[in-house]
Amino acid sequence: MILVTVKRSILFALQSFWRNIWLSLATIFIISLTFLSINFLVVINAISDSAIAAVKDKIDVSVYFKQDVRESKIAEMKSHMETLPQVERIVYISPDENLEVFKERRKDDLVIQEVLAELSGNPLGATLVVKAKNLSDYSEILKAIDNPAYADLIEKKSYDDHQAAIENINTITKNIKKGAWIISIMFIIIAVLIVFNTVRIAIFTHQQEIGIMKLVGATNGFIRSPFILENIFSGVIACAIAVSVIYFILSLVQPHLNNFFAGVDVNLIGYFNNNFIVIFGSQLVGIIILNIISSSLALGKYLKV
Amino acid sequence: MIHLVNVTKTFEPNTTALKDINLHIEPGEFVSIVGQSGSGKTTIARLLISEIKPSKGKVIVGGWDITNIKHRQIPLLRRQIGVVFQDFKLLPKKTVFENVAFALQVAGVAKKRINKIVPQVLKIVDLGDKLNRYPQELSGGEKQRVAIARALIHRPKILLADEPTGNLDAINSKEIIDLLLKINEFGTTVVLVSHDKDVVNGLKKRVITLEEGQISQDQKVGKYVI
Ligand SMILES: Nc1ncnc2c1ncn2[C@@H]1O[C@H](COP(=O)(O)OP(=O)(O)OP(=O)(O)O)[C@@H](O)[C@H]1O
Ligand SMILES: [Mg+2]
Repeated sequence: MILVTVKRSILFALQSFWRNIWLSLATIFIISLTFLSINFLVVINAISDSAIAAVKDKIDVSVYFKQDVRESKIAEMKSHMETLPQVERIVYISPDENLEVFKERRKDDLVIQEVLAELSGNPLGATLVVKAKNLSDYSEILKAIDNPAYADLIEKKSYDDHQAAIENINTITKNIKKGAWIISIMFIIIAVLIVFNTVRIAIFTHQQEIGIMKLVGATNGFIRSPFILENIFSGVIACAIAVSVIYFILSLVQPHLNNFFAGVDVNLIGYFNNNFIVIFGSQLVGIIILNIISSSLALGKYLKV
Repeated sequence: MIHLVNVTKTFEPNTTALKDINLHIEPGEFVSIVGQSGSGKTTIARLLISEIKPSKGKVIVGGWDITNIKHRQIPLLRRQIGVVFQDFKLLPKKTVFENVAFALQVAGVAKKRINKIVPQVLKIVDLGDKLNRYPQELSGGEKQRVAIARALIHRPKILLADEPTGNLDAINSKEIIDLLLKINEFGTTVVLVSHDKDVVNGLKKRVITLEEGQISQDQKVGKYVI
């Protein structure tokens, strides 16, 4: 019996969809635009996230120790620093490793190579590379390093401040996001109004039918479901259209992305592929909930009696 | 079968459609409700299918106190009461068969069963050969018979007919009334709301007369006196 009812609701919904085909198309169009603008937000998010992640990854504090500092002293400092809640991890680089890297990097510089060859020992000290959990944690970490107890050990420390770069990314994306949000909210409001009106018009053209349905004992659910189904149907089609358009645009844009964000790996198609269900599923669920709410609102008055 | 206990119905702001009505209709009865326009006849009918609620008093249908019926139980009530109106209330874009089948569809009845019982009921109202006509291809009497078939399709305990002959000529009216009598003989309680003096007087059944929202007469074998 439930199956029969579901089948009939779907049939009624399809009929109504075709009977008001232009209205249905307008609904689909506007819901598609809503999806597109929301996914533009998703794209901006993805890009800024990977850009910021890339920059963040480059940030750390390097502590260069004097050449004669004993390894145990450094280990002590390392284990002490590791107890700080702000510290993500600390990497110890021995003097030998530092020398290796240095030699490697300057292997074309003949003067340096000569000088190094003449030196008997290793002129370089050890290094600790400290990575913080959050960008804002570096000030605390720098303070900890400035502890007078360590002053004698440390040759110098370097902190490449990418804060400015990150702030730039943040403000740019914030502004773009703001615009995208405004557009999205506008589209959402328009979508609600359109869905609401679609239902209103559908009800109007079915007024007589609804009255008779009630007289012969149709439940409100039975009366309501074709209208809601009709709009869910529009939502699903709009979602499919939005997905196709988005992938089409992404396939055009993707090849240029890596040039544009030099060095930052932004794989939008991959991002959408990996999060397909989350991104489009939640949007579809959202539009369906929206549909049910606006359909119920539009129908409410008619179902009272 | 039908009990109205001290029922008053007022419409905002200040119309009193029914005033302290007490009415008792037994199962299997054939009752006519008559009265001038505005005397409250339709209001009684609307109370019985819970289209409106009484302002005071109790409404009991088939032992079921529907005074404060829950919203989602109203459909169940309406499947137990067949209703017929002056304006037929048929869907113009559906055939005779579809119009009757519609009442079963909304109740979730399987197609196979619909295909079986709809022609049976249409045969009872003598429309067995007009299943595929559209309402505009039928006479008024035939349209009303389609409406009656639809009202009967759920095998209701009560058939409520509000001025079913209001739009029909004498011959068609007689056919409809005969049909209602036949339905009553099958055991269904029939409540007929009517203006038509000849119709009511010819019945020789119980007549309840309403005057300004109150029962002024209730006769076992009644006459339309006003
Ligand atoms: N929804 C409403 N709002 C306000 N007043 C109403 C409403 N429905 C009915 N009435 C009033 O209640 C009174 C009884 O109406 P009702 O429809 O029961 O009369 P009736 O006996 O069926 O008349 P008729 O023979 O013309 O059909 C009338 O005065 C009418 O104006
Ligand atoms: Mg009336």
